[in-house]
Amino acid sequence: MEVDQLQRSFVEYSRLLFHEGFLDGQFSQLQLLQDESNPDFVLEVVSLFFEDSERLLNDLTIALDQQNVEFKKIDAHVHQLKGSSSSIGAQRVKNVCIAFRNLCDEQNAEGCLRCLQQVKQEYLLVKTKLEALLRERHDKRVVHDLNCGFIFQLEQQIVAAGGAIPMLNEFC
Amino acid sequence: MACTSGGKSDVATVPEQFPVGLRVLVVDDDVICLRVLEQMLRKCMYKVTSCSQATVALNLLRERKGCFDIVLSDVHMPDMDGFKLLELVGLEMDLPVIMMSADGRTNLVMRGIRHGACDYLIKPIRDEELKNIWQHVVRKKWNEIKEHDYSGSMEDHDRQKRTIDDAEYASSVNEGADEVLKTQKKRRDSKDEDETELENDDPATTKKPRVVWSVELHQQFVSAVNQLGIDKAVPKRILELMNVPGLTRENVASHLQKFRLYLKRLSGVAQQQGGLPSSYCGPVEQNIKLASLGRFDIQALAASGQLPPQTLAALHAELLSRPPGNLVLPALDQRTLLHASLQGSKCIPVDQNVAYGQPLIKCSSNIAKQTSQPVMSNEDVLSEFAAWSSKNLGDMVPACNFGTEVETNSNMLISFIQQQQQKQSVIPEPGRSINVQPSCLVVPSQSSPNFQTGNSPVSVNQNCGFRNLAMDYNNPLLQSNNSSGAGQNMEVECKPVRMHSEFGTAASVSSASSCSKNIQDSACQRVPSSPSTISVVMQIPTMNRVPSSHSGKPDLVEVSTRNPIYVGKGPSIPSRFAVDEHELPMSNMGQVKLYAENNGNKVKQEPNDLTENATLKYKTSWLHHGLVAVTENAACNWFLVSIVTDPALIRQNTNQEVESVRHAYLYDFGSGSSVAVRLVRHLKGVGRVKGGAHIFPVANCKGWIEKKWVNRTRSLGDFWQKVALLV
Repeated sequence: MEVDQLQRSFVEYSRLLFHEGFLDGQFSQLQLLQDESNPDFVLEVVSLFFEDSERLLNDLTIALDQQNVEFKKIDAHVHQLKGSSSSIGAQRVKNVCIAFRNLCDEQNAEGCLRCLQQVKQEYLLVKTKLEALLRERHDKRVVHDLNCGFIFQLEQQIVAAGGAIPMLNEFC
Repeated sequence: MACTSGGKSDVATVPEQFPVGLRVLVVDDDVICLRVLEQMLRKCMYKVTSCSQATVALNLLRERKGCFDIVLSDVHMPDMDGFKLLELVGLEMDLPVIMMSADGRTNLVMRGIRHGACDYLIKPIRDEELKNIWQHVVRKKWNEIKEHDYSGSMEDHDRQKRTIDDAEYASSVNEGADEVLKTQKKRRDSKDEDETELENDDPATTKKPRVVWSVELHQQFVSAVNQLGIDKAVPKRILELMNVPGLTRENVASHLQKFRLYLKRLSGVAQQQGGLPSSYCGPVEQNIKLASLGRFDIQALAASGQLPPQTLAALHAELLSRPPGNLVLPALDQRTLLHASLQGSKCIPVDQNVAYGQPLIKCSSNIAKQTSQPVMSNEDVLSEFAAWSSKNLGDMVPACNFGTEVETNSNMLISFIQQQQQKQSVIPEPGRSINVQPSCLVVPSQSSPNFQTGNSPVSVNQNCGFRNLAMDYNNPLLQSNNSSGAGQNMEVECKPVRMHSEFGTAASVSSASSCSKNIQDSACQRVPSSPSTISVVMQIPTMNRVPSSHSGKPDLVEVSTRNPIYVGKGPSIPSRFAVDEHELPMSNMGQVKLYAENNGNKVKQEPNDLTENATLKYKTSWLHHGLVAVTENAACNWFLVSIVTDPALIRQNTNQEVESVRHAYLYDFGSGSSVAVRLVRHLKGVGRVKGGAHIFPVANCKGWIEKKWVNRTRSLGDFWQKVALLV
């Protein structure tokens, strides 16, 4: 029962993310790619995405901080961020990157700074959501593997994750 | 980041379940993308290897040649531009490459296509897109097969080439040379065969029976052509006259085409100023060698029939290609040949100039004139040659004019040189040289005295050498000839080379030396030793100074190429290289470059010295940055066309020499592959390069990736040796 709930919540949550534009079809592809031989594929990829994006955002910040802004370099970074976010399906991040690149082409330092802020914001958003999603997935799996005896602990975990509390409460 | 190879232990490849097990290499600096792609490809049941660095990927490809079927590469990478990787992969390994990028702008996609990408995917990539990448592998393979078929089919090939040639005269010369080379190569391939034989030299799956034009067969062909007259020679009638069972009209037709092209080329060369296509030189050279081979042969040839100038040319070609081998008479257009000779006749003194070239010419002319003239007395021959040669030499001269030619191979070349020099006093060996061959190599071995211009000693040898070449197509003959004058020749060979050096033309020297060496070798040692390294000297416009520089060096065939460019063609087939022991050419080759600067003592290098070490030594010392253009004949024999070590020259000369090369395989000696790449692209753009252009870094001599090469050389190292030596 709880498992179902979790599953449902997971689905709901995912759908929400998709609906809000945080994730796109690419993410579902990733989900489809996951299988027995690669059970943690999505987790792996998302973790990579986090790492990579943080590094890029860092580099971007530094680059834009320079006296002489090297737009070529910034463009390269943004391009990469765009690539990785699109690979993962982080749609909103990708869209901001596209705008960012245009500003780079125009060599608009001001605009770039603003865009960078925007990218960071979007990134943090999607990061939180993905983390939650993954926790749910993780938990879902855990739940699935465990006996009912551990449900309460799991419930607590879920509650801590924050996403599924309402539903759980309903059943509690 | 290191490469993670994946899928190795995965699903076993089941051939029947293609495209399962397709070996994919993914290169992307974006690790997320890389991981995602990896997973997607695994889902498609492919064997995936992923790399996040282009340089690592390239090394992987080089080390594990044949281990990958297709490459997926990102466009934007920090260590190397994706397009550059694309080009390198296409050139070196000839694998299909798919570009990927999050940037889908049209101009970028266009760039990708221009650089040779099979496809351009825009990220994020969906797995459906990856599922079908196998189509690129298949398509490429099929196209290669078709290409092999195409080149295997002489008729088609020649026809096409012919059209191209007709369209562009200049390049036609090269093409003709190519043809000659091809035919020569073919001959080489079947050097052991006397009769027409079917040969499968198509490495691809499609096998095409190939007629091998042996010396005898070619002689028959030539005599038939002479009988009919070059103008009236139609394949059908030639076939009838030849009366060879198993020979088809198509075979004859294609052979005739080649022959005509060869003649045209020779005459065209005469017309051209400088920049002789290396291919041109090559065959000539070879011929020279052959010519020198056997006086007796020449006689035989002479006796066998009239040899029109074309035949001469053909013989030249034959000779060049392989003394022992079959003579494939290039299809020389008699007219053109004559034309050429007319043009170049200036240099030919009647009696003196004959020197090598002339004798041959004379012979040929004689032959041409008299249908069945037996060996003529030297004097007669000489005179005739002189006369004819003046005409013919003109044709030939073009080659000489450019100064390039490494002629040792063909008398024609010799004659050219002679023409050039005006003093070529080489008197064709009476009787001996004359007989022959169209190769004009007729250089009576004894005529050494003819060489005057200070080269007398050399010239003598040269003559001898050449004579031998001319005379004797086959090694045996050569040997016999050599034996007669061999001793001298041998030595001489070296000398001529030296002589060259004197003139400052290094290039030819080597060839000469090589020729001589080859002759020596061949003469003395083995029959099969075809003038292995006749270097086809690719004439760079800068080259041709030699003629002027050395006058009276009739023997020296060499082409003085200032540029280190020259084509060295060993018995021209890469495989030959392996087989050929004539290291001489190689040493000479190396020398060639040196020759220009140094005196030809280098030539002396005993071919015997050539060893692996020697070649490597040359390689390392000589190859810094250059392009080796290799051409392929219809028999799929590879001929080293030229070695250009100065990138600037490459650029200058692309329109000329390189364009003439039909299949250009460029070897980039240095790290600056961009020039090579541009050159290749240019060649491809002008339709001169079929198949791939392969760039092989010098440093990675083992990395000679090209299955075709391997098939033909049978040993990468051997070919590389040859190349190295050439330089």
